[in-house]
Amino acid sequence: MSNLIKYNEAFISSFQITEDQLANLTYQSVQGWDSVGHMALIAALEESFDIMMDTDDIVDFSSYEKGKAILKKYNVTI
Amino acid sequence: MLPFKLLQNKTVLITGSNRGIGKVAVEVFAMNGASIWACARKETPEIEYFLNNIAAKYGVNVRKLYFDLTNEIEIRESLKTLVTEKCKIDVLVNNAGIAHGGFLQMTPISKIKEVFEINFFSQLLIIQYVSKLMMKQKSGSIVNMASIVGLDGYPGYTAYGSSKAALIYATKTLARELAPYNVRINAIAPGLTETDMAMQMEGKAKDKMVNDSAMKRLAKPEEIANMALFLASDLSSFVNGQVMRVDGGM
Repeated sequence: MSNLIKYNEAFISSFQITEDQLANLTYQSVQGWDSVGHMALIAALEESFDIMMDTDDIVDFSSYEKGKAILKKYNVTI
Repeated sequence: MLPFKLLQNKTVLITGSNRGIGKVAVEVFAMNGASIWACARKETPEIEYFLNNIAAKYGVNVRKLYFDLTNEIEIRESLKTLVTEKCKIDVLVNNAGIAHGGFLQMTPISKIKEVFEINFFSQLLIIQYVSKLMMKQKSGSIVNMASIVGLDGYPGYTAYGSSKAALIYATKTLARELAPYNVRINAIAPGLTETDMAMQMEGKAKDKMVNDSAMKRLAKPEEIANMALFLASDLSSFVNGQVMRVDGGM
């Protein structure tokens, strides 16, 4: 499974959304991406990519696109 | 000694394991079958000897982590070891801390910040890292070492007592945040205990605290460690978000 598929799947399963909603997705733009959903997303990403994100990065992870840049710091290229 | 081991197959990470309650807790936990990650500020021949002796005496695995609680980078780097080695931590005992006594008018704000840095912020940082491992495991028990001074007002304890009160509040809040992941978190509020920390107290203040206790004596470190053992073990599986006073009745 490619990193992009794993990345997308983390959002889709955490927020119960469809793939066409991903492109412009930002924090709190859908009902599922609240603070609880955010922790679920981070847990899913950490599990999928076998990483442990720093608190500052968890806080900065504010959109679908921003997340891609943050994951680069952990050697995960989407 | 109990006829069975309460922490068999469990791994415990304990801070401040070089002296006082922490040192005794290392032995109580090892006696109960736990593997230990023993944390202390710096490596010394005494602590190495003590920990190696505990490992040999009880036949458990004792590993060491050295970091300074005033140094956030050191804490992060040390705890990342646990993550990269994919360690399973079943129990965290946040025991390390510093004491401070002094009336507010005689206490610089910089000192209060220092006390909070060690007794509160560094504890939260450790919980952030270790609870992540526990959340993934869907199990864990965290024990925070607070103090009766964090519950009851004592003159001269604004810095220390406030830092422990903050830790107590965090314990209660995190109990709700972590419960969905089957991670429990509780605090112990010891009364004055026979440790080096207590020996630093002024005589009058110490006497007052002893006299306030129905049992009219200091706690023994093992009496506090035994409560930590209870909270760490499955015997306390439905105890969460609590502050357990171990003070001889106050």
